[in-house]
Amino acid sequence: MKPGTDRFRAHPQTALLLAVALAVAGEAFARPPAPPSNVRALDTPNDSGGTISILWDRAEDEGPELRYRVLAAEGSSLSQSSLKIIDEFPSTSHTVADVKRPWWTSPADPDTHVYYLRSGKSIEVKSGVPYTVTIASVRDGEQAVGDSKQAIAVPNWFNWNALNNLLFGIAFGVAVLLSIRRAQRGPVFLRYIPGLDAVDEAIGRSTELGKPVMYLTGAHDMSDPSTVAAAVILGRVAKRTAAYETDLMVPHRNPITMAVCQEITRQAYYEAGKPDLFREDANFFITSDQFSYTASVDGIMLRTKPAANFFMGAYFAEALLLTETGASTGAIQIAGTDSDHQLPFFVTTCDYTLIGEELYAASAYLSREPVQVGTLLGQDLGKLTVLTLIAWGSIAATVAAGFDYDWPRLFLDMIRDVK
Amino acid sequence: MNFADRMLGLDRRLIFFLIGICTLLPLLYPVGLPIKISPEVRGVYDFIERLPPRSTLLLSLDFDPASKPELYPQAVAILRHAFRNDLRVIAMTLWVTGTGMAEQVVERIAREEGKISGTDYVFLGWSPGGPAVIINLGQDLYTTFPTDYVGRSVQSLPVMSGLRSLRDLDYAICLGAGNPGVEAWYVFGRDKHKFELGGGSTGVMAPGLYPLLRSGQLNGLIGGLRGAAEYETLIGQKGSAVAGMDAQSATHMAIIVLVALCNGFYFWSRRQRRLEEEGHT
Amino acid sequence: MIFLRRQLPLLIAMLTGSVFAAQYYVPHPASEAMLTNVTKWMQIIGGFALILGITSLFHVHAVKIRRQEAGWAYSLILYAGVVGTIIAGLVARGKESVEGAMTAFGWVYSFVMVPLQGTMFALLAFFIASAAYRSFRARSREAAVLLTAAVIVMMGRVPLGEYLLPISGDLSQWILNVLNASVRRAILIGISLGAVALSFKIIFGIERSYLGGGKE
Repeated sequence: MKPGTDRFRAHPQTALLLAVALAVAGEAFARPPAPPSNVRALDTPNDSGGTISILWDRAEDEGPELRYRVLAAEGSSLSQSSLKIIDEFPSTSHTVADVKRPWWTSPADPDTHVYYLRSGKSIEVKSGVPYTVTIASVRDGEQAVGDSKQAIAVPNWFNWNALNNLLFGIAFGVAVLLSIRRAQRGPVFLRYIPGLDAVDEAIGRSTELGKPVMYLTGAHDMSDPSTVAAAVILGRVAKRTAAYETDLMVPHRNPITMAVCQEITRQAYYEAGKPDLFREDANFFITSDQFSYTASVDGIMLRTKPAANFFMGAYFAEALLLTETGASTGAIQIAGTDSDHQLPFFVTTCDYTLIGEELYAASAYLSREPVQVGTLLGQDLGKLTVLTLIAWGSIAATVAAGFDYDWPRLFLDMIRDVK
Repeated sequence: MNFADRMLGLDRRLIFFLIGICTLLPLLYPVGLPIKISPEVRGVYDFIERLPPRSTLLLSLDFDPASKPELYPQAVAILRHAFRNDLRVIAMTLWVTGTGMAEQVVERIAREEGKISGTDYVFLGWSPGGPAVIINLGQDLYTTFPTDYVGRSVQSLPVMSGLRSLRDLDYAICLGAGNPGVEAWYVFGRDKHKFELGGGSTGVMAPGLYPLLRSGQLNGLIGGLRGAAEYETLIGQKGSAVAGMDAQSATHMAIIVLVALCNGFYFWSRRQRRLEEEGHT
Repeated sequence: MIFLRRQLPLLIAMLTGSVFAAQYYVPHPASEAMLTNVTKWMQIIGGFALILGITSLFHVHAVKIRRQEAGWAYSLILYAGVVGTIIAGLVARGKESVEGAMTAFGWVYSFVMVPLQGTMFALLAFFIASAAYRSFRARSREAAVLLTAAVIVMMGRVPLGEYLLPISGDLSQWILNVLNASVRRAILIGISLGAVALSFKIIFGIERSYLGGGKE
């Protein structure tokens, strides 16, 4: 005997009540569904066009058995019979709460339903063309169609979802500019970076031994900030090699970087008062191919045995092949990279390593120019802000999850990345 | 110089020899230890499993022959899985030096799985520009690759039906050995066009991609030869990655032993030096 | 002259920098089309830049051959390699195979480039071992922590390690997923702020050393 049956026998009243409830519910299910109320259609804001947002209110009898059907067709003021079925889904889905939009661009209350009509197999949504759309409630094969609405998709000129990103960007830019002003007014404390003090030592040693200095600018082109930082540091290094009258070799993987570095080196020699020592071929291109370049630089290292090797910029698998070969020739090696995946190799094989943004800080430390130092100060302010936001964000998210509060969203959305 | 110091200055050719032996012997005499599946690799596998037949998978083979030992087995396993699940495969590369190899692997696996070029798969080839190609693909697939590798008009191929840009993809996987690679596909592709993205990389690069994985920016990651071996195990067709795991096990163990030895000699040498100094005083 | 060498590049950097920073916030197709166009320009400029690179390469090696510097024969091989591959590529129209038959260009690719590049990458395993033996020592408490983590991850990433020490697999997963990912995020935040600050300086013309160092 099934335990459930036994329980009903023991409580005949319960069984009766259940039967009545089921009968009432069954009648409700058999009833045709009410048409969706307050159907609205509008161009989806903050996009590149080609999308229409359809919104409608939540029904009281929503559940897995009630479904919504999206009907649409190209043209304005069309009859409902000429609309095509585009999509169908359970009434428990497609709410504003499911869509990741910050509160300042949210189209309606979280409970409201939303559907984004875009090009697919059933319809092609073009910008600037009117479409007639509506929503139908469907239950047990019966459908009730809501009011038809018209809308035109248009491309937008500003993505308000990314407003927080823009404001943070501007605030950070202003902080950097103000910090530069601050640094121009008076000295700013700079944390000691051991790797940079070693730059002079390495060039000095090369001079003593009469051996060249080798400087690499990394794998990326000039569009990467790490290459720009490497090129800036090259200027300082070249000035010292010019002053000490030491040979400088800069093999390149990118022709544009080579051309830029040639100018930087020329300028550095000029500023050091040794323009006659500048050699056009101090900067030379090898190949853009990773391992062919590595093999060639390794060969140069083994033949010319530079006394100092600088590895600045971005690196990949070639990092260890370069630095281990350099170590085997007994050179002082200084690395600076934001390629965090290669940091372990640099730390293991080089005498000094500038980690992450220390690469960007390097030019400030070497030059002590207010502009460079001020930028560092600005970066630190940025980091302080990020750390504070992380702390507050963690607290707010925990409170929101633990106590089911909605208000932390006002803050959390401000630090969310929504596009 | 005492014994410990001499051992610390060991000729590195001896180390090279040891690593050579540790790689060669397991390849000649495989053991076949069981391979545990990690959640990162399962992420890619499960997503492909859930895709309905004829869904579109873009596979960007962004590596050159140098990374072939690690990434080629990954490509083989993913292509087999996709073809067996009747997915439409659009393959391409952002690395000019990888073009020939990429074409070779796509054609070989498609032939073995009985797929028809142009209907079930297409190899678009290489286009210059690196990350710029991804930006252009986000705009229009057909202006970026008007013709495929063998010169057919891409737009007219049945495999491309319903596709206009990256937005229309069901899934994209980048097997990347550097730049442009997985990060570029995330920054210039997925972030903007909101398609699901999986990644594969060399073992060295994999730890660097974990932040993208934890934040859901990548839905799975196949890391190095180990990842490829896991994928081969998942699809039930063991290949070169599984075969290479024994060699990798042996070399990892050899490096651990070497590190232990060097530390032993280091402390021994330090102790001896201290004893000598105490003897002098 | 100063205008061409200084002001004009700065003006271009400021204009294009601001426009493309703003482009990120403009979803309109016109802005996307502009970005696509500019990426095409970049591809074209990149192609021309290659000529610059090859000129430099040929120049450096021509000097070596003329002066008969040590290893000048390698420079001859480089010339032969570059010219030979370009001719093979032009004849084969850049295709490695035509209707299943391997072209000369394909032969160079499959039997010269693939094995050579494979060899270079394979050297990594040997170099990692030698670097580990030479430098991976527990000199300090921090180095000891690094060493322990490395050993656990090395064991946990191979079947033999997991077989010998079953917990190493889960431990290495935890190290990679939690410790490694959080530290990398911290480094990434620093790097990104540095990159954004540098971009601001370039856009506003505060950082000009990339144009050739000094001040006007």
